[in-house]
Amino acid sequence: MKIIIKTILLSLIVLLSSCATIISGSRQTVGITSEPSSAKVYINEIEIGKTPVEKKLKRNQEYQLIVKLDGYKSYETKLVKKFNAWYIGNVLIGGTIGLIIDPITGAMFKLKPEEIDGDLKSGTTLKTKNGNIYVNISMEIDPNWNKVGQLEKSE
Amino acid sequence: MRKIKKILILITVIGITSCSPKISTNFTNPQSKLSIDEKVALLDIEHNLPENIVKVGEMRFQDSAFTTDCSFNSLMNQARNEARQNGANIVKVIEKKKPDLWSTCYRLKIEFYKYSGDVSSLPQYKLKLD
Repeated sequence: MKIIIKTILLSLIVLLSSCATIISGSRQTVGITSEPSSAKVYINEIEIGKTPVEKKLKRNQEYQLIVKLDGYKSYETKLVKKFNAWYIGNVLIGGTIGLIIDPITGAMFKLKPEEIDGDLKSGTTLKTKNGNIYVNISMEIDPNWNKVGQLEKSE
Repeated sequence: MRKIKKILILITVIGITSCSPKISTNFTNPQSKLSIDEKVALLDIEHNLPENIVKVGEMRFQDSAFTTDCSFNSLMNQARNEARQNGANIVKVIEKKKPDLWSTCYRLKIEFYKYSGDVSSLPQYKLKLD
């Protein structure tokens, strides 16, 4: 019996070494949608596409997110590093290797939009699925833009 | 057992708090802050500085031994943010050590300048997402 318990414990230690790296990976998918859609998305001032768009980002960095659409105010926030609870697996089970590996791969973090006083920036909704995040942005109309006309297809 | 627990907690705390590079800055001539819409040129070692520039300050990125967020793109992005905060529109790399046997990090010495011309027209490094 003792051997079985020891074997289970040993397996757990081996399996849960680098807990966060194994479970979460070093990159995280960040999905961005907007209302209305087709807004240009910039991460660290690099255009990555138009909404809806997804990008796999390294967990050990912080990013600046900007969403722009003509007629609407530019939306700006930060994707910040938060503690990934899977890292605790290393402490609980004693996976000393994981305590070192997880910070190196960045898996001890998860990316989340910046919160001010515990709240996301207005117009932002956040969903989490399988450790990935999906940010929906409700774009605010820019009052400096005035509609002066509209092109229509001629018959 | 208690000793082991203490060591594990200590490693965790170090791991959480020490992943950023060691940064030292010195702004001798700060200018008014730039908005996000104002361009900042990132000049690598091989890119030349234009004429008629004013030096704003300098910055150094070093490896703190536990640093993991220290790729060239990440450091240049941090330098650009710092430049905007201090009104500089040119980030110039003057010393660059690539990752080697001693460190897995880029180590950079950077100078910040204010240029009155159009920085978009300068030959410059194009930032990428890692």
